[in-house]
Amino acid sequence: MNVSKDLIAASATPLILAILKENDSYGYAIIKRVKEMSENQLIWTEGMLYPVLHRLEEQQLIESYWNKSEAGRQRKYYRIKDAGLSELELQRQQWEVVHSALAKTWSKEE
Amino acid sequence: MFDLETQIQSWSDHLRARGNFTDADISELEDHLRDEIEDLITAGLTPDESFLISVKRLGNVDEVSHEFAKVNTENLWKHLFIEPVDSTAKKESRRDIFLVVIFALLAGTLIKIPGLFGLGFDDPGADHFYIKNISLFILPFIAAFFMIKRKANRKTWSTILGVFIIAALIINIYPSFSPYNTETLSSLHLPLLLWLIVGVAYIGKKWRSSQGRMNFIRFTGEMLVYGVLVSAGIFVLGGFTVAIFGAIQIDAEKFMENYYVIYGACAAVLITAYLVEAKKSIVENFAPILAKIFSPLFLAIMVSFLVVMIITGKSPFMEREFLIAFDLMLALVLGLVLYVISSRNNQQPPNLFDYLNLALILIAFVIDGVALSAILFRLSAFGITPNKLAALGENLILLGNLGGLAWLYVVYFKGKCDFIKLEKWQTGYLNVYFIWTAVVAFIFPILFGFY
Repeated sequence: MNVSKDLIAASATPLILAILKENDSYGYAIIKRVKEMSENQLIWTEGMLYPVLHRLEEQQLIESYWNKSEAGRQRKYYRIKDAGLSELELQRQQWEVVHSALAKTWSKEE
Repeated sequence: MFDLETQIQSWSDHLRARGNFTDADISELEDHLRDEIEDLITAGLTPDESFLISVKRLGNVDEVSHEFAKVNTENLWKHLFIEPVDSTAKKESRRDIFLVVIFALLAGTLIKIPGLFGLGFDDPGADHFYIKNISLFILPFIAAFFMIKRKANRKTWSTILGVFIIAALIINIYPSFSPYNTETLSSLHLPLLLWLIVGVAYIGKKWRSSQGRMNFIRFTGEMLVYGVLVSAGIFVLGGFTVAIFGAIQIDAEKFMENYYVIYGACAAVLITAYLVEAKKSIVENFAPILAKIFSPLFLAIMVSFLVVMIITGKSPFMEREFLIAFDLMLALVLGLVLYVISSRNNQQPPNLFDYLNLALILIAFVIDGVALSAILFRLSAFGITPNKLAALGENLILLGNLGGLAWLYVVYFKGKCDFIKLEKWQTGYLNVYFIWTAVVAFIFPILFGFY
């Protein structure tokens, strides 16, 4: 299924924050995780992910550090900050409002 | 044979050339590409298949680059000074700045030293001394800067410093008699010769390679562009200094003349060298952009000049000054052609600028031919003088350079050789310039009895 661009953009921030809340991660792994969690429904492009990551970093919601990967390469990891955790909580509440509203209308239709 | 490392390298070079990425961004994307490739190889694909698919998945570079530009525009200048990613690079950039400061101070002080021995700027006869030696005060420091950066071995150090010392000895031991023709010629050619020596220090071990030399040609162009900018800054700062101290009735001009101008000039040169080296691969080169803007304009002017000259039947080469102006213009045209070539990707098919370049070369070739005949005329009419012989040599060399380029361009357009051949020929031709400047600087004075 093709999820609309707007929806992908809107859901990018909470998804990234939620993944980083589980544990620190890096670009390639985040894309794989999103694909896995959405059962191959959400395919993110790198051109979209990295700018979002960098913007979140600028907003001080996450921070980055360089570390060695298993193969010994330099890899840029991202870690969620306290501000990011509270932002995630806020987004979760917002999404729940939308979700429960939608759920009610859809259950009526059936 | 598919070489994965080379391919990844050229992919990241391509990103770098876009100019929207910081080095950190590129490392991050490269790591991503490698992850993707490794996964595909594990899944059973061959390296070349994996590379192609991964690059495709990473998206159109232009698209990615565009997205990055949104986040990174503010960095465009900032990231010249941004902290490098890993700590060795950080240390290195700190060391470079330290070197620049020390070398600028040393060069400035070196210029002041002769003043202690009665050869200050205002002393009689000192102007000859300074004009002759000015390149020797600064260029060795640039060479040293690059030899430190490139971790040159002892042999390179001793060779290059040896050349500088020998040049300094020769130029100062040679006597000189009025009207000082050979001395002036030496002073003009020595900086060019020594600049090529700096080139050897800049390129390092592979100083014979065409690619290394092309990089040095690019470096020279960027040095010119940045040098003008940095000097303008130093000039403005100097002007304000005099003005604000003047406002409180303190005359700063003596200080400016004695110290600011000298140290400022040395600092300008070294800072420029450092900046050009540091920004390499981060910001797109300026010289080729300027060259692309001005090469059509130069072409238009030169064509109309030739047409008018033929219609009116006037020869512009009767006066010596015009001849010199023409030589300078031809050298400039050669520069334009070179920088268009230098920014070109070897694999690209011929484009508009290649044809423009060929037209420019041909027209310059014709004008050079006219100038050459004028020089020959003057030689036969007024006899041989060092100036005329030098002009003759320079024009012949330019003619050779332009002719060779034109010929190779034609062969290339016919599809009979790769573009790389043009580049190789041009970089090889640097040897000719080297030999000629050396001949004028060191052999002419002997030939003409130091007059």
